Amino acid sequence: MDNDDEMYILLLLADSNLPTGSFVASAGLESYVAHGFLSQNSSSSIIDFVQDSLPSYAHLALPFVSDAHRIISTYANAKNSPENNQDEVDRAVKKLIGLDELYEVMTLNHVARRASKAQGIALLTLYSKGFSRPLSISSNIDEPIRLHEARLTQLLDQYKVLIRSEETPGHLPVCWGMLTGALGLTLERSQYLHLFLHARSLLSASVRLNNIGPYGSQQILLHAVRPLVATEAAKCRMLRTGELDEDKDGFNRTTHGPANTWPLGDILAARHDQQHSRIFNS
Amino acid sequence: MTTPETSDSLNSETKIKSIAAGGGRITLAVHGTKAVFEDLSAAYPLKLLSPRINEPRVGVVYLLSYGGGLVAGDQVELDVVLKERSCLLVLSQGSTKVFKTRSGQRLASIRPNGTGASDDSLTTQTIRYTINSKSTLLLLPDPVTCFRSASYNQIQTFNVTPDGSFVILDWLTSGRKALDEDWAFTRYYSENEIFIGGRRWARDVMLLEGDNEDGEHLEGVVPSRRFLAEKLAPYSCYAMVLLYGREVEKIIDNLRVTFEMITVFKRREPEDLIWSFSPACNASPIGLGTGAIVRIAGTETDVVKVWLKERLRGLEEIVGPDVYRKAWR
Repeated sequence: MDNDDEMYILLLLADSNLPTGSFVASAGLESYVAHGFLSQNSSSSIIDFVQDSLPSYAHLALPFVSDAHRIISTYANAKNSPENNQDEVDRAVKKLIGLDELYEVMTLNHVARRASKAQGIALLTLYSKGFSRPLSISSNIDEPIRLHEARLTQLLDQYKVLIRSEETPGHLPVCWGMLTGALGLTLERSQYLHLFLHARSLLSASVRLNNIGPYGSQQILLHAVRPLVATEAAKCRMLRTGELDEDKDGFNRTTHGPANTWPLGDILAARHDQQHSRIFNS
Repeated sequence: MTTPETSDSLNSETKIKSIAAGGGRITLAVHGTKAVFEDLSAAYPLKLLSPRINEPRVGVVYLLSYGGGLVAGDQVELDVVLKERSCLLVLSQGSTKVFKTRSGQRLASIRPNGTGASDDSLTTQTIRYTINSKSTLLLLPDPVTCFRSASYNQIQTFNVTPDGSFVILDWLTSGRKALDEDWAFTRYYSENEIFIGGRRWARDVMLLEGDNEDGEHLEGVVPSRRFLAEKLAPYSCYAMVLLYGREVEKIIDNLRVTFEMITVFKRREPEDLIWSFSPACNASPIGLGTGAIVRIAGTETDVVKVWLKERLRGLEEIVGPDVYRKAWR
């Protein structure tokens, strides 16, 4: 994929109208506000929240994004025809389920689990319904490209079926890694965009909660969030789950594995449903 | 917590030859109705003490380190086995104090296998628990207190049969109040991984990194870096409790019901104590018992302690009120 193609995919994925289910998630922000953590200067409190929440999410989720992306890339690069592809699919699925189950048991907060699953399946649905090539324009496509797309669709669709039948949880970071890997986005871009979107959805939630205005939100996104996303993307770039075979030897979980880094955020997020009134699902 | 009586403790030096520095083994079995430590051995700087208990099936052990704390480079590695129908209460002697990192100096130099400790100045405590059929582990230590510049790894692994039970408390404080330490340590890593019936049931990993690393944030970059103390304010004590199994089902139910009754109205300021209750993952296969995770944050350690003592009081039915009291002394 050349740079222009990748840029186009980035523009598509960064669209705030993309049906990913993030519209109903505040990732603990609504609860944070309700519990009295907002100061007089709500704009600076929102920045504080992003500064505390984003690193914790990055440290926990990026290893899963990275490994899922790597699984998809390995799968995509193997040159099989769809007819004898099932073994490859099964192998990839097995590894993806391993990641998904680890994310499930590491996300011990039921509200975060719920939100993550809702957004995960939405991404795979987006892939099959929104990013697949329409039949009307698929007739004149090159055979190798058609085969490549068919193989990826086979894997992602099969995984979606497993999520629907509750054989795997289908968490957001795993599905994001799958989606971006299938679309051919580089790992680095995938990681960066995932953190950017997380931060942006926090900002958009705070606008809807009326803590800041729409202009203020853009201001924060441009000037405050940008260095934060860059810092966390750089810091967590090399983190891995340790679940993939190629990582098993000598993997040091205490320095390179996923972790929660903000226990306060976890408690507040898990108290989301206890709020007397609320507009978000998490 | 006062120093536990030592009269009934087994001689922890007897098996010292086969144990590496900082290593230890505990095996609790039930003979008739009496709990018997079949093994209770440890090597410097780890020390184990077991006071006499008259409660049927129940054994109590204190994990101690010489001088009441761990210094830079100390590596504790302990194996704990609960045989069928036994109940083990694991306590500590006061908070586990972790002293500051001094590179190049260490007391116990044996590095545990598999933890991948890359730094000699890191203090590491690795404990593996095996909870056999119908046995109950109650792990209720005092909180860990990391001093200024300390760097600490705690890795606990639990292998549990589906009909076992446990209450695992893991908590830490912000430092020594008297010295104005407020989240001033360098690094704290705590991992609790639980397998039930051979299947991974939970892996809780908490990593808190202090503020004295450099080079991560450039000067003058907006927004300025958040200090650990700011992120965790106004709380100075964080606790996590994992609960599972038939023996503690009533306690879990009580916690769940109490949590569900909470209604949060919009506040101007944070409360002195907040807590959350989450049921264990739905991915757990059928046939497993009830499980839950509870997290608590409090402005003072005592607020959290009082809360814990009250909410876990149902454990008195298992260990008796006298033994239960020992946990909160």
